[in-house]
Amino acid sequence: MRIRRLLIPALLCSAASAAAQQRGNDHGSVVIIMGQEPSTPIPTLLNGSANIAVSDLLFLRLARPGPGLTTTDERSFEPQLARSWSRRDSLTLVFELDPRARWHDGAAVTARDVVSSFARVRDSTIDPQRALLLRYLATVTAETEHRVVMKFRRAYPGQFYDASYHVQPLPAHLVEQIPRGPAFATSEFVKNPVGNGPYRWVRRDPGRQLELQANPGFFLGAPKLDRVVFLTARDPEAQMNLLLDGTADLFEAVPPVSGPVRLARSPSTRLLTVPSLSVLYLLINQRAPGDRQRPHPILGDVEVRRALAMGLDRLNLARSTYGRFALPAEAPAAQAHWTRRLVPGGPGYQPAAARALLARQGWVDRDGDGVLEKNGVPLVLRLSIPATSATRAIMAPQVQEQLRRIGVRVEIVRLDFPVFIERRSKGEFDLDLSVANMDPSPSGIVQSWSCAGRAGSNVAWYCNAALDSLLDRTIYTRDGSEKSWRAAYAMLQADVPAVFLASPANSIAVHARYRHVSFRPESLYGDLWRWSVDPARRIARDGAGAPSR
Amino acid sequence: MIRWILGRLLQAAATLVVVILLLFVLMRLAPGDPLSRLVGDRDLAPGELELLRARYGVDQPVLAQLRSFVAGAVRGDLGVSIEHHPDRVTSLLASRLPATLLLGGVVLLLNFTLGIWLGVGQAVRRGSRFDRWTGRLALTAYAMPGFWLGLVLVAFVSLRWQLLPAAQMTDPMLPPDADWGTRLVDLLRHLALPALTLSLTSIALTMRHQRAAMLAVFRLDYVTAARARGLPEQQVRWGHAWRNTLVPMLTLLGLWLPILVSGSVFVESVFNWPGLGSLAAQAIASRDYPVLLGTAMLVSGAVVLAGVLADLGYALVDPRVRPS
Repeated sequence: MRIRRLLIPALLCSAASAAAQQRGNDHGSVVIIMGQEPSTPIPTLLNGSANIAVSDLLFLRLARPGPGLTTTDERSFEPQLARSWSRRDSLTLVFELDPRARWHDGAAVTARDVVSSFARVRDSTIDPQRALLLRYLATVTAETEHRVVMKFRRAYPGQFYDASYHVQPLPAHLVEQIPRGPAFATSEFVKNPVGNGPYRWVRRDPGRQLELQANPGFFLGAPKLDRVVFLTARDPEAQMNLLLDGTADLFEAVPPVSGPVRLARSPSTRLLTVPSLSVLYLLINQRAPGDRQRPHPILGDVEVRRALAMGLDRLNLARSTYGRFALPAEAPAAQAHWTRRLVPGGPGYQPAAARALLARQGWVDRDGDGVLEKNGVPLVLRLSIPATSATRAIMAPQVQEQLRRIGVRVEIVRLDFPVFIERRSKGEFDLDLSVANMDPSPSGIVQSWSCAGRAGSNVAWYCNAALDSLLDRTIYTRDGSEKSWRAAYAMLQADVPAVFLASPANSIAVHARYRHVSFRPESLYGDLWRWSVDPARRIARDGAGAPSR
Repeated sequence: MIRWILGRLLQAAATLVVVILLLFVLMRLAPGDPLSRLVGDRDLAPGELELLRARYGVDQPVLAQLRSFVAGAVRGDLGVSIEHHPDRVTSLLASRLPATLLLGGVVLLLNFTLGIWLGVGQAVRRGSRFDRWTGRLALTAYAMPGFWLGLVLVAFVSLRWQLLPAAQMTDPMLPPDADWGTRLVDLLRHLALPALTLSLTSIALTMRHQRAAMLAVFRLDYVTAARARGLPEQQVRWGHAWRNTLVPMLTLLGLWLPILVSGSVFVESVFNWPGLGSLAAQAIASRDYPVLLGTAMLVSGAVVLAGVLADLGYALVDPRVRPS
């Protein structure tokens, strides 16, 4: 009896000490370098990848795409705020919210939050981009405290993706008190956001850093890393130096050529690659520069565009610009898009055939200067690139050289980024090297490659009614199938509104002490809360614990 | 004297107004879309660009924008940054100014203490090995681009020898409730390399000016007379000769003072120092007009004020230039 009396407290103490030790071992921190400042990581105010990265740690979605990023199969999605979902018919989706979900101020996440957030996002004066994406959503209603019903106007494969991905619910009890309009951006909520995700807001020092703290009551499991600090560093040298001197633990934009060489000397850092949702392409202006009423005098001819596509060696361009971190692209489908496997093989690199095609169109080199002419007009094109982009600065001379071999003279115009964007949006260019950072759903191609997109992102004014109709059928009807995606990509390849060159991967340097490291293409840090620090490799700042607010 | 000072301040204010108006118009004439950073490579919905233009007021005619800017500036409100939206320009400037003043102040202090001391030393030991080698080393450092020297220092001091941090103004993991001693040590460790880089590349100017001014004064009769009277050499050097070199040094100080405020774009970038220089550089790169105008106003104000202070300084140290 006496032994028992002594043994039980001893066992309890031992268990408590083991738990405390375990908690101690779970401590950790991560310092992430960002090239842009996350100044407003609030859904509906989001601009730029830095804001999105932080916002994804603060605010969950109803569900997120599974590892394959198949956006048309709702069974492949993973629960987030919604623990389950079902269909009443082809137009009605029902989401059951997880009753354990809480806002960081302790209030429960309810259907009212979801309804109110959808109302905000669908207001085109608040978020025109998402309002457009949700145009086929008819109503969002709260049936019970934890049940949300969404009715659509059309039955299409991407319904579930649209319903779950585009909106990150905000706390209605806080946001509804703020007047609509510009007051929201300067409100107390934006200064100190209250989310529902694995990390909660601590503070932002403008121009320097933003700090988050683990939310121990996170309903999907307490995060293992206590502190997440996002450092703002714009200079590429400073970014790498911060990583190499140990100030930071993670950098998501390692320069593809020089970065791996420098990191090889740092045993504490490892380099990981994650498929991206971006595609680099040579955009071809369909209209005369500065006068969109007239077709482009040279590039208006589809055969010339096809010749340009055949004159470019994509594999070579991708390898020499991004090293092993990119794949050649044949369509606006990135490495991480599920439709990438549906893209038909393009014409490939055929410089002799390209030259022959140009000759058939009347472009011949009569004066022997190496540049083709037609009716006395030389085949000279201006290629605009933003001076700040290192990868495009590497690729542009290679494009110039490859096209020189088929008799096209390319003049590279390096522009300040604001001038590059201005000329692009006004259509004042022949060719430009652009990067498209797309949504997980391939349906985003409508915005850049449809006739309707001319009022927005389709700056080269490419328009093919047959493709519009095909895309509409593919994306917004239940007839949409892999076959129709193939046909749409093939039509784009035949029209050559652009030469799609490469889809780069995210090359991420991360400290070797982290375990369970994983990144998601659509939300790089979506699984950060599952990471932990190897107890044997902890460094001083990992033991710091949570900061005081 | 007061009338003279008031007149000088009025002139300065008029100069400032002209500079600001000129800057405002020139910025609007420069090519480039101020919304480029917001637009970037992402897809845009039809009409989204127009909505953004209206939100930031860049859809208005230039005169309307100028009216709105002047009305705001009179109230002390310089508007909202486009790139750092919703931060106000005044709060951005206020958050960046201390870092710039700290770095600029330390560099100025090093230049005008060490630089003067070395310059006087060179003049006193003219033609000696000390004079020759100090001059050579300072000129070599002066000839180096600041950003390059910064990178070299980082490569060796931070990355290879791991003595000092490579960038930042403070340790990002420093707890907010850390004691002042820890904070001070952390700040000094981060300040060391950028301050050293800027000082090394600029100290030669102060040294050369001081050396030349001292040599010119040493030749004057009153210095010879002071020595002949048997005054101690230190008193002759600092009490008689050096005081008469103050006018050219004040001119140099007047030219240096604005750097206190403007910061150094390259060095701030290399060391990720959160100062006004890098803020202005970002504003130029993104055509963030409100921030650009705010920093330009601050720097122009500093230049004009430095001119007034230098004039006052002349009047104080040299009775010959004092207004009658």
